[in-house]
Amino acid sequence: MLRDITIGQFYSVKSPIHELDPRVKIRFVIIFIILSLLDKNIYLFGLLTIVFMTALIMSNVPIRHMFKGMRGIVLFILLCSMINIFTVYGETLLRIGGLTITSEGILKAVYVFWRMILIIFMSSLLMYTTTPTELTDGLEKCFAIKGNVAMGITIALRFIPVLMEELDRIMKAQEMRGAQFDKGGPIKRIKNLRTVIIPLFQNSIDRAKCLADAMDSRCYKGGKNRTKLRPLKYKTKDHIVYVTLLLLLIFGIYFIIKF
Amino acid sequence: MIRIKDLEFEYYERDEEENLTDMINAIRGINFDAGKGDFIAVAGRNGSGKSTFAKILNCLITPIDGTVLIGGIDAINGTDEDIFKIRKKVGMVFQNPDNQIIGSVVAEDIAFGAENIGISSDELWERVFEALSDSGLGARMADIKIDELSGGEKQKVAIAGVLAMKPACIVLDEATSMLDNKSRWEILKSIKEINEKLGITIIMITHNMDELLIADYIYIMDKGRIFLRGKKESIFANKEMLKQAGLECPAIIDIKNDLVRSGIIHDGRIFSVEAMVKRIKYEHPNSFFLDTKLEKNHIVKPKINPVNAILFNHAKYSYNKESVLKDISLSIGKDEYVVIIGGTGAGKSTLLKLIPGLVKTDTDMIYVDGVDVMDKSTDLSNLRKKLGFVFQYPEQQLFAKNVYEDVVFGPRNTGITEVEAEKRAYEAIEVVGLSDEIYDMPINKLSGGEKRRVALAGVLAMQPEYLILDEPLSGLDPEGKQNMLDIIEALHKEAGITIVMVSHDMESVVKYADRLIAIEDGEVLADGIPENVFYEMYLEADEKERELYNLPVIMQLLISLRREGLEVSCLVKDIDEGVNNIKKALNID
Repeated sequence: MLRDITIGQFYSVKSPIHELDPRVKIRFVIIFIILSLLDKNIYLFGLLTIVFMTALIMSNVPIRHMFKGMRGIVLFILLCSMINIFTVYGETLLRIGGLTITSEGILKAVYVFWRMILIIFMSSLLMYTTTPTELTDGLEKCFAIKGNVAMGITIALRFIPVLMEELDRIMKAQEMRGAQFDKGGPIKRIKNLRTVIIPLFQNSIDRAKCLADAMDSRCYKGGKNRTKLRPLKYKTKDHIVYVTLLLLLIFGIYFIIKF
Repeated sequence: MIRIKDLEFEYYERDEEENLTDMINAIRGINFDAGKGDFIAVAGRNGSGKSTFAKILNCLITPIDGTVLIGGIDAINGTDEDIFKIRKKVGMVFQNPDNQIIGSVVAEDIAFGAENIGISSDELWERVFEALSDSGLGARMADIKIDELSGGEKQKVAIAGVLAMKPACIVLDEATSMLDNKSRWEILKSIKEINEKLGITIIMITHNMDELLIADYIYIMDKGRIFLRGKKESIFANKEMLKQAGLECPAIIDIKNDLVRSGIIHDGRIFSVEAMVKRIKYEHPNSFFLDTKLEKNHIVKPKINPVNAILFNHAKYSYNKESVLKDISLSIGKDEYVVIIGGTGAGKSTLLKLIPGLVKTDTDMIYVDGVDVMDKSTDLSNLRKKLGFVFQYPEQQLFAKNVYEDVVFGPRNTGITEVEAEKRAYEAIEVVGLSDEIYDMPINKLSGGEKRRVALAGVLAMQPEYLILDEPLSGLDPEGKQNMLDIIEALHKEAGITIVMVSHDMESVVKYADRLIAIEDGEVLADGIPENVFYEMYLEADEKERELYNLPVIMQLLISLRREGLEVSCLVKDIDEGVNNIKKALNID
């Protein structure tokens, strides 16, 4: 159940997108997101959707895998954007009880949903195609983050699946001792959750201690004089993607101004 | 390579106001030497100081007194630069595979250490592939994601990560204690190869006695001291001393001593089943014939109480379209003591989790006392009251501020009175053999073995009719294991609790369980009286996969003897019975 959440987890497969320099991917995604936030019009969103679909197909990440991991989030976005249907003023289409549905509301809801989906799917595509190490190497360069901060991010990402599994196991163990996480008032629920949170916390601290020892023993000294297995070096295809990005930017701005 | 003299280490515990509350002498006056290419084992019970000692070798903690010279470098008074030099020379592999891997992909993690010491990127790749092959992983593993690996593979990645730093010595701190038998022996095999082929010194910290057999020299630690040291034969000759240190002899040594005592063989350096077979054959050449075949097995199904307690009716389970369990049909009767064995990914844990409905499958597949567990109308929380479930490493689920509060948590949830809940908690703590002084103890003051018993008490306080245990022995030292086995035995015999347990500890299985179920690839491979099942497993396995590691040592010996042509009966419960069978086959009175 909890293990189904695959957001933020690298998907190991060979593809041209996987081989791109992480800096290119990060910058691409940032500009993509900014463009999607600047305006809402069908041409711009259509362009961005085509770009996303192309990237997705080239990435060899199975569409099913992606959707499965994001089901919860998509549902959440859907609900949030649906609120627009009832709250935006405009021409009344339908009246159900106290609620009015307006055509402007529907349009707004569609755009909000579309935009959020684009943003979230594009950024998770970045995560699916870039290992945490590469991602942090990229972030380190793009945003001038210090080496040890970047290492922290790498480790945090690496431990998401481990902790998810542990959370699942502890919850089941306490359920077997009669703990109920889905019943009772909010106070009772929080009280019951402590039986999961405390051991999870304790175990994480223990893990952190072990991990610190393991890193020390492998001569980690905070990123000083550290070499890289995959040093960041631009290749021809990275330059091609930068050119594509420039074109996307130009067309995007054109659509925003024109429509 | 390593020279240690009069090593001392102690640490203090302070309360919130920084007042000294406790001083623990972890290491008291250790002398230790390791030369180039040595294979040394350091054994001792939990809390004997062996892990602290391992950390000193890697400069992870600094001793308070003594001399530690590693490759000629002073580890105590050295500068930071010296410490990095030592860590480059002495690599370390830790116990928990998940807590030492930093990269998300195999190659990235293997390179981590070498990156830190500034190896150029071209050479890094060379080293990664070299380490992949030396560790027995193989080059094709380079791009695999870490969380897709089994525990054994993760440990191999950890070893490869150390190898990529080109160390002169590798310290393994209980590196195999969280693995199943097959991965354990694979790891030990590759360590031995690394030692022999690359000439790397190995220092192996362990409490698993049969692992000592592959070492050349052994140190036994107890209470922070070196209690015994010497070559294998002299260490194992001291069974009484080993017992004092909370350890035991490896099974093959016990068998050898029995055989020598019965006059079957003369004493000698025998540390493996193969060597033992050779020796027996050498001393009794005329009893071996060429035409002895492995006899067919007649599996005797244990009598099952007609009131089926737990029933699997063609149970299937798949996860992510991958079939974990394929058509399992079993019935586990009330009052049985059933052990389930099988390799990693065989589906044992899933099988256990299906019983109380912790994972879901279709209806009409799992029944407990005639109730369909998967039926939506079933009151699961009521059903679970009679199913106690002890997860793997249950001590990791303790949450309360002291022992009593944790144990009483379960009973309080069942809606009984506070007095009754309290009574149950006290009883449960008594059953697991902990004294009443422990009630108010904070959890973190307990030893590992005690924590596990507290966790078990927490489940027992629910007063279950069935106790389901997922590898309750893993990570425990010989004493702790025996202790746990005794508790489980008492629960079964005296309290009449049905036991369903997954275990990797083959030696204890034959002795305690009424029934053994072997699971492989999501199917029942064999089911019956333990010794029959072991035998069946061996017969069923493909010729090339007929490795014996999964059988109790005495059965390994008997089967090997039979394959060599000795007319000996292979189905035995313990060493005595096995030795008697050998005697009979050799016509010795």
